[in-house]
Amino acid sequence: MKETDASPTPPRRAKLELLVRHDADDGFDVRQIGSATAFVQSRPHRVPDESWELAEMPSRMAGQPSYILKNTTTDRFLLLTEPEKFLWQKMDGQTSLQEIATAYVLRYGAFDFDIIPALMRKLQRAQLLTLRPSSRLRQVLARNRRRPMVKAIESGLTALERINISSRNVQRAFTAAYRWGGFLLFTPAGVIGCLLLAVAGLVAGVKLWHAGGDIVAGFGGHALRGLIIVKLLFFLTVAAHQLVHGLALIHYRRRVREFGFTFLHGFVPTFYVDVTDIFMTSRRARVVTAVSGAGVHLVLGSAWFLVALFAPLGSFTQAFAAASGIIQWQAFLIALYPFCFIEMDGYHVLVDLLGMPTLKQEAMSWVGSLVRRGASWRMGRQEAVFALYVVVSTLSVAAFFAFNVMLIVHARS
Amino acid sequence: MSSPAETLAFLREVRLFKDIAAPELTVVAASLRERPLKRGQVLFREGEVGEEMFVVQRGSIVISKPVTGRVEQVLARMGSGDFFGEMSLFDRSPRSATVQSDSDATLLVLDREALRRLTELSPRAAAAFFQALVQVFIERLRASGDLVAEVTRWGLEATGLDLDSR
Repeated sequence: MKETDASPTPPRRAKLELLVRHDADDGFDVRQIGSATAFVQSRPHRVPDESWELAEMPSRMAGQPSYILKNTTTDRFLLLTEPEKFLWQKMDGQTSLQEIATAYVLRYGAFDFDIIPALMRKLQRAQLLTLRPSSRLRQVLARNRRRPMVKAIESGLTALERINISSRNVQRAFTAAYRWGGFLLFTPAGVIGCLLLAVAGLVAGVKLWHAGGDIVAGFGGHALRGLIIVKLLFFLTVAAHQLVHGLALIHYRRRVREFGFTFLHGFVPTFYVDVTDIFMTSRRARVVTAVSGAGVHLVLGSAWFLVALFAPLGSFTQAFAAASGIIQWQAFLIALYPFCFIEMDGYHVLVDLLGMPTLKQEAMSWVGSLVRRGASWRMGRQEAVFALYVVVSTLSVAAFFAFNVMLIVHARS
Repeated sequence: MSSPAETLAFLREVRLFKDIAAPELTVVAASLRERPLKRGQVLFREGEVGEEMFVVQRGSIVISKPVTGRVEQVLARMGSGDFFGEMSLFDRSPRSATVQSDSDATLLVLDREALRRLTELSPRAAAAFFQALVQVFIERLRASGDLVAEVTRWGLEATGLDLDSR
């Protein structure tokens, strides 16, 4: 007997239609903003630190501790669970609800869809929360809009942010790609094959390094131009990186919600895939998903090194393949290396393992407070992790730039 | 530019003029003048003085109200056969919203003088015109109530504010 679905249709989300005028000309754009979009991008901001107190409530019963949150201005008290206390600490006015939800999943391995709205209602009733609508960068730009340069940057970012070519109907395509060969990447044979190729690529790379001068000569005196072309071609392989992330989701029977192209932060052109569904699975699945995408660059880089090794010495093919190999391997390392202030695959694995989902934001905030209020060298484990993250990341970024300068100098000489 | 016959044929389809008999409608058509608008062009801004109402003959018009900085809330969209600006026609008050074109458009302009001529020429035609106008006013009043409710709902959903449980 066929069952009828008696569940009520969810109410339609409200939409606002806004007209935004251009700065540069008389034109305008009309945009529809759904309330749901505004909600997940809002940045809940707890009241200033001097307006609240938090205390652990001792309990003789086994289980999670409870906390009392007091609004010192109104003398209202709230009872918070441990997960609610975690969320409260994230509501710093800089972290969006979307990021808070991600942090929650990484911390607790599951997500209760009601907990954040319920907590926000509770906090708002106790007058402990405000909402901040936009990013700090955009706020700073908006405040200084009178300066022509700032105005130009803001207009440029706005224009780039609007570029988003994407599809939310990609699950079927990814499933087909997985069925028609993508699954091989996640078999033991596939993994071993990739590792063998990586070892062969490494050997080839070492051999090529010794003949660096002759190889670069293949660009025919236009090494810099050649490297730029290689970089542009590399950009296309970022799409492959994202495709493999999507295949990993299919492998773990999760849903690929979206695939597309956009400008990250308004200025970094990139392909992207929505892998948020992987948060509903195990840590192992999350790590595999993160690492598999980066693995694309390892495999491609190795293949390019092998092509370069067997190409005629000093030929354009050899120079091009060697440069492509270096860039692919560089991308592999950057993607997996967590200490570079960029939240890429390796960073997500690190914060997952540490159980500190907003490590970068908290570390930067901690450093900021050290600078503003003066240093205090008494550090607990958490502060030690923050310090380590910032120091290692700073050194790593400096080393990365130094390496690239050395490469260019090496190529030009 | 449309010929008088084309303008007349268009007016017959416009709700505001549908109950006006042919002879009087011909007089109305003759008293209207065309106003072309380029895409993105502002016709008038909130606060400006005006004494004309406009009928959209072709194209799409956006009516908005400034909210903050460069951002305005869209109050309504007007297409072929719709009209706007009638409040200033009657009370000469400053424009209550900003009007711009969303595409290349052509408007027909009806001013106070044309309306006065129509009233003198045929009180019955004028009555039909005002009857239709009041009908549309009522609909717009109801729609503005819906818009306020929608904006309020948006605010509640976007901030997660829940008054049910208070």
